[in-house]
Amino acid sequence: MSSMRFAISMLSVVGLASIIGTVLQQNQPYESYIVNFGQFWFELFEMLSLYNVYQATWFLLILFFLVASTSLCVYRNTPQVVKDIQRFQENIREESLKRNKYALEVPFKDFKRLELIDFLKGMQFKIREKKINGQDDLIIAKKGDFQKLGYIFTHMAIIIISIGGLMDGNLVFKLKESMGIKQIEMQDKPISEISKKSWLEISNFSYRANMLLAEGESQDVAVIPVKDGYLIQDLPFSVSLKDFKIEHYASGQPRSFESDLVIKSKKNGEILTRKISVNKPLTFEGVTIYQSDFQDGGSRMNLDLIDLHSIAGPLNMKAEVFKHNVMIVDNKKVNFEFEDFRLFNILDIGPEKNKKPKNVGPNFRFKIRDEAGQAREYETYQLPMMVEDRYFFMSGMRNSPQEDYKYLRIPADADRSLEGFTIFKSLIHNGKKIDKAANQLAKKNLIETKEVSQDLANSFKAIFENFVSGGYNNIAMSIDSNVPEEKQEQVASTYIKIIHLIADQLILDYQDNNPTSTPFNFDDVTVFSQDALNGYSDSFFYGSNFWVELRDFDHIQASGLQLTKSPGQFWVYLGSIMLVLGIFCMIYIQEARLWIVRKKGSKKITLAFASNREHLEFEKFVLDTKDKIKRFYSH
Amino acid sequence: MKKNMYDYGFVALLSLLGLYALTNFYSYMDNYEVAILVSSVAGFSYLGIKWARFRYFFIASFVLTFLSIYLYQGDLGQSESKFLLKYILSSQSAIMWMTALFPLSLLIYWFYLFSKKEFYGNFATCMVWIAVVFASAGLLIRWFESYLIDVEVGHIPVSNLYEVFILFCLIASLIYLFYEEKLNTKKLGPFVLIVINAAVGFLLWYTLAKNADVIQPLVPALQSYWMKIHVPANFIGYGAFSVAAMVSVAYLLTENIFWRRHLPAKEILDEMTYRLIAIGFIFFTIATILGAVWAAEAWGGYWSWDPKETWALIVWLNYAAWLHLRLIKGLRGNILAWWSIAGLLITTFCFLGVNLFLSGLHSYGEL
Ligand code: HEM
Repeated sequence: MSSMRFAISMLSVVGLASIIGTVLQQNQPYESYIVNFGQFWFELFEMLSLYNVYQATWFLLILFFLVASTSLCVYRNTPQVVKDIQRFQENIREESLKRNKYALEVPFKDFKRLELIDFLKGMQFKIREKKINGQDDLIIAKKGDFQKLGYIFTHMAIIIISIGGLMDGNLVFKLKESMGIKQIEMQDKPISEISKKSWLEISNFSYRANMLLAEGESQDVAVIPVKDGYLIQDLPFSVSLKDFKIEHYASGQPRSFESDLVIKSKKNGEILTRKISVNKPLTFEGVTIYQSDFQDGGSRMNLDLIDLHSIAGPLNMKAEVFKHNVMIVDNKKVNFEFEDFRLFNILDIGPEKNKKPKNVGPNFRFKIRDEAGQAREYETYQLPMMVEDRYFFMSGMRNSPQEDYKYLRIPADADRSLEGFTIFKSLIHNGKKIDKAANQLAKKNLIETKEVSQDLANSFKAIFENFVSGGYNNIAMSIDSNVPEEKQEQVASTYIKIIHLIADQLILDYQDNNPTSTPFNFDDVTVFSQDALNGYSDSFFYGSNFWVELRDFDHIQASGLQLTKSPGQFWVYLGSIMLVLGIFCMIYIQEARLWIVRKKGSKKITLAFASNREHLEFEKFVLDTKDKIKRFYSH
Repeated sequence: MKKNMYDYGFVALLSLLGLYALTNFYSYMDNYEVAILVSSVAGFSYLGIKWARFRYFFIASFVLTFLSIYLYQGDLGQSESKFLLKYILSSQSAIMWMTALFPLSLLIYWFYLFSKKEFYGNFATCMVWIAVVFASAGLLIRWFESYLIDVEVGHIPVSNLYEVFILFCLIASLIYLFYEEKLNTKKLGPFVLIVINAAVGFLLWYTLAKNADVIQPLVPALQSYWMKIHVPANFIGYGAFSVAAMVSVAYLLTENIFWRRHLPAKEILDEMTYRLIAIGFIFFTIATILGAVWAAEAWGGYWSWDPKETWALIVWLNYAAWLHLRLIKGLRGNILAWWSIAGLLITTFCFLGVNLFLSGLHSYGEL
């Protein structure tokens, strides 16, 4: 097991498993896996724990074997390494020195033994001396022992890091789970109803848990997501959120998230008030609290429901995010489920090619659930947005989370409000006004046809009312069924023109009667009237009669905190430092041994070199050292 | 002795630069950043003493940068009206010059390889040096420009894919230039410049198709002094591994008689690959550890098995295995060369593929 082949095959498996873990997104809700893979593969993958590879028992087992193998390797090799460090290869034979690849003779006038030894020591060599054959001098020198220590450092480091990692893993929980002491909670429940089996005690050794804390709220437990369920972690303190702040750059992008926390120890009631932010966590009683994300914390909104298809006045609704908000409309219950409110929304807007991030103001998301339980999702912005040089109120709708939002655009009036559209809507539902406008239009036509025709006015009115009852889609359908195909296009464009003209006329009439009214103070009101017609027509595909208008709100945020207890961290860091030192030693320290023999009475010495790594670098080292020794003797 | 004079001069110059930064920007720095500044002065001084040409490179980059700063007069709008800024010394123009010079040097290197006229070799090397000066000046100027947009927006330009690709070109080239000089291996230029030009190609596409060159403010998670050391350390690793892979390509080509006549000796190629992977490995190890320490601070855990982390581990294991085989089993030759080329694929996936195909916490550099 301590063989390198075993270690390398284990490492390969770890590598492979890690790759799977990155390709298959981890820790997603299980439904999304079922949707993606189908039932069969879902179950197979689940059996192999592929959705939580890194917590899987088999993965931990491999890691365990890896640690065991490396430990064994260190255990086996360390004595040898230590011996190597202590040992001077004194008992080398003369012949092997002569055969040495780097053997070289250097002549001298005077041996200067002591000076030579000092000289070698100056070059970082450690020295032993010996007499061989009872008369000849042998100097044994070596350097770079740390290279060998590097082996111990790196491998010990790997062991220490792995142990640190395992300390922070969930082994203890796995054990307790397999013995039936602990159990993952699968259902959404209030905390008070969660069984003690799914609670982890304060004394729990290590964890990484989440807490969502709304402003003004206080909590003393956190949630640990596990597989497709969760556990509750009891904390040694309570945390309350005084305030949550997002700061923005001038362009509107978020610059910092900050939570003002008040932490109260359960043990001694000690209170700590502190601000935390991303990259600036806080540690209290061994638990580190991080700012991780944020959410809405139940903002309160005052809303108007504007019926898009009738002239009824708006219905007022007071709603809260995350609460069920039921409206009774025409004796039917309509469920509004508000899911999010955002004060800032940064979108890339502006002309093509020159889009810039910009804050477009608050928006809110909600679902409207019908009695059958089907829900459509909506996303509505409070303020009008500039699109193609005009301002529109925008609201997106989709039938399921997989779809993109399709946006309904209602034009803002000259005061940038919805008032203009509301007036417009009442005008196009007013039969008398339509009569009048149709007549006027028919009269204008008279100049060309020279014939008064009530019929013409009536048919104009019919076309317009057909539009009002179902938008352009209605017009298209009636043309489809009544007009021969080759004429359809021509007729359609005539009809659209009639509709536009009547709408323009309606607005002009309105302006004549209300000269002080401002919503239609455009240079060219026909642009507005066309946009309003388009918006009205599209609203038949909006899936709801109601435009939800945000009048005012009370913004309440929730801060997403992460609470980590990580006793292994110290060991991981320690191991990391050892690892770097070790690798440095192994790669950059030149291990070298040098033997110097001087036969009695001879006027030259023989040098021989060896190293456990004899590559180019070593050859250079040998040449260098030889040169230095030659120079030593030449002065 | 004369050489020493220049050494002292360079160290003095760097210290002055450091002091200047310290006195002027101290109020914007935390203690860690002061430490990073001081270590950079020490580190670059060391490099300058060990490697004379690095000094000229360093001075040239800073001269260009200061010239640019002078021309800007504290107003970003000047880049439209001043000729020098518009065509040479705004960060985007400097980087465009870099993207033009790298392909040019690749061509000259190949011409040199077959013509064997030393002149062309020197010419190509010179072109790479100029490209590198533009790259580093471009990054430094970009750093300055980010502060011109808004002091709050200002940050070191290693925060997204666009910026790190320039960093990659810069570091890989410097690493190559170092070994080219020390081991006298100009003939590897034609190969090494291929991988650098691949990065240049990506950079161009990314700039043109995605407008990636716009300076964006930092998301909160990136606002940390850790970024200043984690990212460069990582890119020394990536750069060294990439150059090593290209040297391995040359190594494999020496099997062929034709190529053997044109390329350096096998032993030199082998040694160079080893040294590159060794230095890359050390820096990559340090970078990964720094990443873990940073993650502990920003994400609440030193290891989250985020795809980027996991792939960094895979890259690390790969080169650890490579070093084991070479140092312990004494393996040499074609297998290791192929392995180092495969290493480039793994490294590229870690560096780019993860951003393209996988999502995770490291999603700052998305396409
Ligand atoms: C996950 C990481 C690592 C594992 C699992 C591992 C495992 C092993 C194993 C099992 C051996 C063989 C021991 C034997 O034959 O008895 C070995 C030897 C060795 N490893 Fe590693 N190793 C790892 C990382 C490293 C690193 C990073 C280095 C440094 C570059 C390194 C350098 C060495 C050396 C020099 C030896 C030979 C020791 C000797 O026999 O003198 N190892 N390693």
